[in-house]
Amino acid sequence: MQAVNTPSLPDAEGPSAPLTFITCGSVDDGKSTLIGRLLYDSRALMADQLAGLASSAFAGTATDGFDLSRATDGLEAEREQGITIDVAWRYFATPRRKFVIADTPGHAQYTRNMVTGASHAQAAVLLVDVTKLDLDAPEVILLEQTRRHAALVRLLGLPHVLVAINKMDAVNFDRAVFERVRDAFAVLAGVLGLPDWLALPVSALTGDGVTCQSEHMTWFDGPTLLQALESLAGGEISAAPVSDVRAEAPAWLPVQWSLRDSDIDGARWYCGRLTEGTLRVGEPIRALPTGSGAPTATVVALRVAGHPSAQAQAGDAVAVRLDQPLDIARGDWLTTAAAAQLGQRLDATLAWLDAAALVPGRPVLLRHGTRWVMACVERVTARLDLAQAAWSVDHQPIAANDIAAVHIEAAEPLPLGTSVRHARGRFLLIDPHTHATLAAGVVGQPFGDTLASAERVRREWAG
Amino acid sequence: MNAPLSAAAAAALAASEASLEALEHEAIAILWETFGAFERPALLCSFGKDSLVLLHLARKAAQPGRLPLPVLHVDTGHNFPEVIAFRDDLVHTFGLDLRVALVEESIQRGTVRLAHADESRNRHQSVTLLEAVARHRFDALLGGARRDEEKARAKERVFSHRDRFGQWQPRLQRPEFWDLWNTRHGTGEHFRVFPLSNWTELDIWRYIEREGIALPPIYYAHRRAVVERNGRLVPITPFTPPAAGERVLERSVRFRTVGDATCTCPVESTASTAGEIVAETLTATVSERGATRMDDQASETAMERRKREGYF
Ligand SMILES: Nc1nc2c(ncn2[C@@H]2O[C@H](COP(=O)(O)OP(=O)(O)OP(=O)(O)O)[C@@H](O)[C@H]2O)c(=O)[nH]1
Ligand SMILES: [Mg+2]
Repeated sequence: MQAVNTPSLPDAEGPSAPLTFITCGSVDDGKSTLIGRLLYDSRALMADQLAGLASSAFAGTATDGFDLSRATDGLEAEREQGITIDVAWRYFATPRRKFVIADTPGHAQYTRNMVTGASHAQAAVLLVDVTKLDLDAPEVILLEQTRRHAALVRLLGLPHVLVAINKMDAVNFDRAVFERVRDAFAVLAGVLGLPDWLALPVSALTGDGVTCQSEHMTWFDGPTLLQALESLAGGEISAAPVSDVRAEAPAWLPVQWSLRDSDIDGARWYCGRLTEGTLRVGEPIRALPTGSGAPTATVVALRVAGHPSAQAQAGDAVAVRLDQPLDIARGDWLTTAAAAQLGQRLDATLAWLDAAALVPGRPVLLRHGTRWVMACVERVTARLDLAQAAWSVDHQPIAANDIAAVHIEAAEPLPLGTSVRHARGRFLLIDPHTHATLAAGVVGQPFGDTLASAERVRREWAG
Repeated sequence: MNAPLSAAAAAALAASEASLEALEHEAIAILWETFGAFERPALLCSFGKDSLVLLHLARKAAQPGRLPLPVLHVDTGHNFPEVIAFRDDLVHTFGLDLRVALVEESIQRGTVRLAHADESRNRHQSVTLLEAVARHRFDALLGGARRDEEKARAKERVFSHRDRFGQWQPRLQRPEFWDLWNTRHGTGEHFRVFPLSNWTELDIWRYIEREGIALPPIYYAHRRAVVERNGRLVPITPFTPPAAGERVLERSVRFRTVGDATCTCPVESTASTAGEIVAETLTATVSERGATRMDDQASETAMERRKREGYF
């Protein structure tokens, strides 16, 4: 197995498209400190914000008089407990690129907030704290939460992972430590099928390897973390939501709202954000799931962000006017696709995030696109065993923060996508009474070969 | 004021430029979701720059139809007169359905009790706001808050749930996956919706410049009587007279934020166009609220505590 995978590296000049990334990893691995360091060293913290860090009533470990984790730990409870509870969003720009950072919590209890951040990101910085690992063991075992976050990053389809092997200052910047931890990660990445990852040695505390080359780690000839972030490709996906923006694909538009034209009598416009493909005036279109037959109308006008336009592309907020009145409402999809499969039964993978365990057979609300339908998880086919990084069919209940392969039946047919790369491949499960969000769902099974073979075990077991 | 930009500032400007389109599409989609998923939404508007950018986007989102919701102004009674004049003009020009909620009326009802007659009414706005939500039975309030303003706001969801008491519960926020927003709620609960969540101060000014959005004149350089207090310039108004022994100065200033007149400070500036403000923003060394808000400086958690009570 190849130990280091080179990410799709740079287009060297000019500012690249903005990049949204998360920091994730286990509790206290140094995520917030790393973000503080990145902001501090790129001079993105303003004078009053720095003064706030220095004067913080809870200031703990200090660097240059500041506790860098306080730059993002903005809640009172976070500062009291010295942990991150919810995602903090930060914005900063270097001469090369504008960044949106989501600093997510490492605590297993707050996994739902990590998934919140990850679902909006194009890249993950996954931290590993070298001081927490048994480096004398024959094989370095990564922490369960590191594995969980790696699996979630894969589940959500984030295209790039930078593995920041942190606290190198605490191990004398020892090359052998870095390499052992990197190799342990390589095994996990292989099993999970992470496509594009790169390991980097850093110290968030001292700044080594973060924005400047470390004089303590001259043995490492890769980029600094900031250089790596500046050069990741981001063009083929859009940040929020991560979605396929290839122009040649058929157009898909979930209708959010419709409005009556104040000038043209009786004319209606259907509004939504185009999730895939390109939509042009003159194209035949149909509405799903209701009008599943042949195209039934033609696009006569488009408005992109309020302005008349001949075409719209994925990511655009677009209003569509058709040549004839159709019975279209919020919850429908408009599409130019010639053939679209509607499905009512789906195999899916869930990140189960409710405090209570999943109860198969219990009715839930499912949100797909802008549509809400009743649904039920008919059965659990397997649970991801994080210790083994393999599917397990042990019949244990699916508890908070588990990843599970399930079979779902929805009350109505839906135009399902095939993977998380498409908006149509994603859904939510919600408690119909408390309205709590129970799970983030992805159509299909996104993990790699090793897990796929466990999937076969599952099939045999399921009969 | 047209000093050439440093290379870093020019790059930051180019980066903001590149993201402006995407931010606009994102904001409009959030607006459509609010129009479509709620029965009685309203747009909260202070007639400050972020609210006015939001209103501009809402009008764009409604093209070529009419703005489908009322505009709610929570009025402390301590206003900059230029802002109220601007509001009344705009209501007329755009034909807005304006609802005003007066803190003064809450005081008269007895639901707001001031500690002393000239106490700042800023924090008390939450009561008046929640009374308006109950009276009009609003189930969603659109607001112009941005995550880059303040560290508690940096934790906020785009569709942020409020319980029956209007409270924000920062430790129990609903997760928010992709743009599959969970807008479901029980009776009496509501949502705050923030389409400008991911915009920075620079993005806002770039957009104001690009779209030619009109703002109250106090956003641009003007001469004003101020006193220097704790490193900030405090404007002299009928509600904020100089303290004994303070020297009143006249300075060329502009406001970076506009809120209640008793807690908003201007910064020294000669910038008289949005383009000049963009240039100043690129080289600012103090954050927007740090430079201008007395209400956040009281304690590190001032904003979080106000937000829990139902503040914007
Ligand atoms: N020696 C050393 N300590 C570090 C380094 N980075 C972070 N720390 C310390 O590790 C502790 C945890 O840091 P945080 O940044 O709060 O960790 P976190 O990953 O954000 O934690 P959660 O968000 O609660 O999961 C703090 O005491 C930091 O000072 C590092 O590079 N070297
Ligand atoms: Mg943290």
